[in-house]
Amino acid sequence: MNGLDDSIRSFRRIEEGRLRIEREESAPFVAVDPAGLEIEVAADAAARLVIVHREAADTPVNVRIRLQEKARLTLTEVFLAPATVEMNLKQAAHSASRITTLQLAGADAAYRTELDGGQAESVLHGLFLVGGNEHGSVRLHTAHNVADCRSESLVKGVAGGTATGRFEGLVYVAPDAQRTDAQQQSRNVLLSDTARIDTLPQLEIYADDVKCSHGATVGRMDDEAILYMRQRGLSEAAARRLQLEGFAADVVRHCGIEPLCETLMEAVAEKMNEL
Amino acid sequence: MLSVKNLHASVDGKEILRGIDLEVRAGEVHAIMGPNGSGKSTLASVLAGNEKFTVTEGSATFFGKDLLSMSIEDRARAGLFLGFQYPVEIPGVTMANFMKLAVNEQRKYRGEEPLTAAEFLRLMREKSAIVELSSKLTSRAVNEGFSGGEKKKNEIFQMAMLDPKLAILDETDSGLDIDALRIVATGVTKLHTPENATVVITHYQRLLDYIVPDVVHVLYKGRIIHTGDKTLALRLEKEGYDWLINAYEER
Repeated sequence: MNGLDDSIRSFRRIEEGRLRIEREESAPFVAVDPAGLEIEVAADAAARLVIVHREAADTPVNVRIRLQEKARLTLTEVFLAPATVEMNLKQAAHSASRITTLQLAGADAAYRTELDGGQAESVLHGLFLVGGNEHGSVRLHTAHNVADCRSESLVKGVAGGTATGRFEGLVYVAPDAQRTDAQQQSRNVLLSDTARIDTLPQLEIYADDVKCSHGATVGRMDDEAILYMRQRGLSEAAARRLQLEGFAADVVRHCGIEPLCETLMEAVAEKMNEL
Repeated sequence: MLSVKNLHASVDGKEILRGIDLEVRAGEVHAIMGPNGSGKSTLASVLAGNEKFTVTEGSATFFGKDLLSMSIEDRARAGLFLGFQYPVEIPGVTMANFMKLAVNEQRKYRGEEPLTAAEFLRLMREKSAIVELSSKLTSRAVNEGFSGGEKKKNEIFQMAMLDPKLAILDETDSGLDIDALRIVATGVTKLHTPENATVVITHYQRLLDYIVPDVVHVLYKGRIIHTGDKTLALRLEKEGYDWLINAYEER
C-alpha cells in the first residue's frame, strides 16, 4: 500500500481523535487506525477526511460526526484490515455528507445517519471485496427525522472463494418527514459457487408524501457484456477482469479526492488478484 | 475472404440456419435482408462465434482458416467485426479504456507493438470524427446512458478504431432517426476500402441508399432463397417478400 501512503502523506493527520472544523478547509485530513473519532463541522464549514484502517482492531471503533447547518463533509473510509466501525452521523439543516467506504479486507462497517434538519443530504457509496474465507458487511441506518431531506446510497459487494458478505440497509422516514427523497441500492456479484452474499434492504415509512426506492441484486458477471468485449478482441479473462474493475470503479470514483481515487483503484485491482 | 458452405446452426435444439452458402470477397458490400425470424441475426452471431449457437453441419473459412474452430476473440483479432443490434452497456468501464485494451490485444495478435498513449489519443480523435461522436462520450462508460443513435454511432466508431477486414453490421439502422442514420451509414461508407468487406443486415432499403450493396441476399427460414444486385432491395421495398417466399414454397 505504498501508493496509499504517498497519497495521504500530505494530508493533515488527526492525532487526538478529535477535530473541530471551523471554516472551509481545502487540504484533506487523515486518521490512521483511530481508536475513536469525534468530528464536528461548524456551520458553513467544509472538510474532506480520510480514515484508514490498516491494523485489525479487536474493539469496535466509534466515530461520531456532527454537521452543523450548511456544513459539508466528504469522507472516505478504507479498510485494509478487518476492523469493526460504528459511525454515528448527525446532520443539521442544509448540511451534506458524502461518504465512500471501501473494504479491501473483510470488515464490519455500520453507518447510522440522522437527518435532523430540513434539506439535509446524505450520499453514501460503498464497496466490499472479499475472498478466501473473509466476511465483510456494510450496515446502513438512515433516518429521515424531518421533512425535505434527501438520502442516496449504493453499496456493491464482490465475493469470491468461500467468502461471505452482508448488506443491511434501513431507511426510516418519520411521520412528519414529508417530501423525503430516499434511494437505496445494493448490487452484488458472486465469483464462485461457494461465495455467498446476503442483502437486506428495508424501508420503514411513516409519512405519506415521499419518494423512496430500493433495490437489491445478487448475481454473476454479465455474460452479454463478456461476449461484447470478446467480440472486440479481449480474452475472456481480460473481459471478466475489466467488467469487475468497472463494477468497482463506479463506487471508487466518488471518493472525492482526485489522486486518492486513482490510488484506491490500484488497491482494488491488487485485491482482485486475490479473489 | 469469407467462404460459408452449407452452414447449419441451432439453438436449444431448434434449427435456425438450414444450409447457408455465402462468398464474400475483398472490396464487396453484401446486404442480407429477409423477414423477421428468418435467421439473419443468428447468421451474424454464428459467424462471430457466439457460443449460444451450435453449428451442426457445414463450414466457414476466413482467409482460408477454419473460422468455426476459432474463439470469439480470435475471430475478432483476425479481423472480423460484429456491429451489435443491441450494443451492451458496461458500467464503470470507460470507452477509452475499453478501446485501448481492444486495439492493443488485436495489435498483439498481429505481432505489432502496443500504441503509445499519444498515438492512441490521436487515433481516438481521428476515428470519432468519422461518426461525429462527441469526445465526451469516449470518456464515459461503454454505452451507459447513450441514446439509441449514440450506441449505433459508437459501434461504427469501434469499427473505425479496429479497422476490421470484414464487418458484419446487424441491423445497425434499427432505432435510428434520419440524421443518425445518415451519419452512421456515411461513416460505414467512409471506412470501406478495396481491401475490406462489409455485410449489412437490414430490414430497410433506406440504409442501402447510402451503403450501396454489390450483392443482396434474401434469407428465409434459415436459407438464402434469392440473390440479386442492388435493384433487388428496391423491388423488395416496393413489393415485400411475398413473391419470393411464394416462389420458394412452390419449389
